[in-house]
Amino acid sequence: MRMNKKNRQQFDLLKLLVKKEITLRYKRTYLGFLWSLLNPLLTSLVLFVAFSVFMRFEVENFILFLLAALFPWTWFSASVAMSSNTFIGNVSLIKKVIFPKHFLLLATIIAQLVNFIFSLPVLIVLTYYYGSTPSLNWLIGIPVLVIVQFIIIYGLSLIISIANAFFRDLEYLVNVLISLLFWMTPIVYPLEAVPEEIRLFLVMNPVTYLMQAWRDLFLNNILNWQYIFVSMITAVVVLLTGILVFKKLDKKLDEVL
Amino acid sequence: MIKAENLWKSFPMRRDRPGLKEFVVNAPKFLKDNNNRFWALKGVSLLVKKGESLGVIGRNGAGKSTLLTLLLGVAHPNEGSIEVSGKRTPLLELGGGFHPDLTGIENIIINGVLLGNTEVEIRARMAAITAFSELGEFINMPIRTYSSGMQMRLAFSIAIHTSPEVLLIDEILAVGDESFRKKSGNALMELIKGGVTTVYVSHSMDAIKKVCDRAIWLEQGEIRAEGETGLVVEAYLKTQG
Repeated sequence: MRMNKKNRQQFDLLKLLVKKEITLRYKRTYLGFLWSLLNPLLTSLVLFVAFSVFMRFEVENFILFLLAALFPWTWFSASVAMSSNTFIGNVSLIKKVIFPKHFLLLATIIAQLVNFIFSLPVLIVLTYYYGSTPSLNWLIGIPVLVIVQFIIIYGLSLIISIANAFFRDLEYLVNVLISLLFWMTPIVYPLEAVPEEIRLFLVMNPVTYLMQAWRDLFLNNILNWQYIFVSMITAVVVLLTGILVFKKLDKKLDEVL
Repeated sequence: MIKAENLWKSFPMRRDRPGLKEFVVNAPKFLKDNNNRFWALKGVSLLVKKGESLGVIGRNGAGKSTLLTLLLGVAHPNEGSIEVSGKRTPLLELGGGFHPDLTGIENIIINGVLLGNTEVEIRARMAAITAFSELGEFINMPIRTYSSGMQMRLAFSIAIHTSPEVLLIDEILAVGDESFRKKSGNALMELIKGGVTTVYVSHSMDAIKKVCDRAIWLEQGEIRAEGETGLVVEAYLKTQG
């Protein structure tokens, strides 16, 4: 691959930031990178116990049903939550070195994406376990949904990371909103289980379509183009808003860091 | 080449930045809050030709460091324009970008790339950088085990080995112990005299006289004098009693 020097340097920088993000997170633990896989698995275990032992949700193949949406959700929520700290946690870097700041956001999202990709084998094993096989749809659906979700996360991160430098309260608000969003998105329960009159709230939530599209792919082996299309529109809107907000606040960032 | 025209830079005078709640409650006040600002730079213009070195002197709070951050590009002026051709290398507070859990070697690579080099270039200079830093075995240890002097030595070694084209220096010639100070001073001198464009902020008039072709004297955000280094320094020292 031939690149000019500037592109090469930018590529190296992003690569190193991603590597740093991945290796540093668990650097001083014994299990290291394994935690990236262990974390969502343990969370699923908790939810699995809660919903199939205590609350007795009658859903077929519940564990696959759950993980099909929970893994992508983990990528989403972890990246968005971390973005609030990206700039205020890297003040010394941002104030002393000139480099594309948004690389820090991209690095977080890519590192979390790597975690997500490493959790895919779990889904594949489960699919076989429940007597089905991953089809060609996966080869199309996964890249498309990854790109769409990447853009949505990136757009949100642009807004949250820079806005949090100006209003530090946002960080705490974001965490609450993420857990609200988690319960308002059909992840641990099916959309159909929600009473008709409240379902409207879920239908208005753009993340619903994204998570449903993932679930349709992994659980039902369907490419739900309608939902994918809605998610694409969400991605475009969020990204444009993000760029706009970022550009506007970036000029004053040095005053508040 | 560095060309800056009519730079104005202000900071809000608020004691603390508002939180979201306070902001919402007092939104109109904060949005109008433009008169209550501290002007760190008021219409500064300068031109540093390629290979030239410009000294910046003045009392504390005169706007010297603000000027450097604008030239570096990590802060934006409220008004005015800046043009810099060439790769900018800061020598401000050293070691800002280091990560404590990464080893010396790992930090060299990431810092070198941050300063505008490719990874291959940095690896090619690894031996020179580690040798210059005199860190020995410590180079494979996490930075958190370093003393502050060791960190500064490493940061300095990286910066001067990344083929800088524009050097922005803020009072750093005093790195490490006596022998390292001498060595780093010489290395810096070699770069500056070797065609690197330099802006040099210092309180040491001797250093300024030794390093700079020209100097400007900042006072309360304005240029009070500029010209040949010796003359500007002399004029400045007269007012300092």
